[in-house]
Amino acid sequence: MKKTCRRYMTEDISRFVDNELSQDRYYELAKHLHRCPDCSRLVDQYKTLSIKFNEHADHKNLKIDTAALKQNFVHATQSSQKRLSGNIYLKLASIAAILMISLFWFQGGIFRSTGPSAIVTSVDTEFSSVMIIETQKKRHTIIWFSET
Amino acid sequence: MNRFIKTILFFLSMACFFSHPALAKTKILTDVKVIHASTGSQYVDPGLKKIIPELKSVFKYTSYRLLKDQRLDQHFHQEGHVNLPGKRTLIIMPSDMAGKRIRYQINIEKNKRSVFQTQVLLKNNSSITIGGPQFNNGVLLFNISGSVE
Repeated sequence: MKKTCRRYMTEDISRFVDNELSQDRYYELAKHLHRCPDCSRLVDQYKTLSIKFNEHADHKNLKIDTAALKQNFVHATQSSQKRLSGNIYLKLASIAAILMISLFWFQGGIFRSTGPSAIVTSVDTEFSSVMIIETQKKRHTIIWFSET
Repeated sequence: MNRFIKTILFFLSMACFFSHPALAKTKILTDVKVIHASTGSQYVDPGLKKIIPELKSVFKYTSYRLLKDQRLDQHFHQEGHVNLPGKRTLIIMPSDMAGKRIRYQINIEKNKRSVFQTQVLLKNNSSITIGGPQFNNGVLLFNISGSVE
């Protein structure tokens, strides 16, 4: 859409057709159109284009099946609710599994606690020679005392 | 849905209850093995196969004979007596739990006189060996294992 009139830009013409100009500017351009065939032609072209576009849009709108759309919406909502309720079961099962694993973990059911087989907290003997030994491999505790 | 939640809650409560020994009726199984270790001809008692590698990693004895294997079913604060060779007696008493360990009071008497006393925290399903008393050209070892039921 080429135009030779330099007073108004094509954007101004477009906004005029769409009735988006200020009132002063609108009347000013309307006066100009009486004198300028170039801009007037462009306005006609825009108006034709706008009419055709609106007709096409209306035609497409008429083709939309609102009943089917509503049904689809209801169906989608129900599916979403089903998925959500399924997820709740999954979440509960996951929480239960985590709790069980934690319990076994803290109770040493899965992984054995580290450390020696026995911790000697006190020794009382009349013999002076007492040794506490821990084996390297299995950390077995041995208390050795000599009677001599 | 309700049934599912109830099932989960049931299993969780059971797990909590039975995983804590203090909550259940606690029974302690104590096993005392009396071993004679010496430098005689090579011999390992078949009943000692589990513990022998540990003992051999520390001691240089060549013969390990099982003289006695006594099992004691105890509750906390209940004494168990094991007669030992050489007029000795082992008195053992589980007193309480410290985490996953059993607190044992162990006393060895000779001629009814206490010669050795100790307090140990024994890991559940594990054992400790106490040794040293001379006997028949060798020494006596007492392997004490404990488990909570």
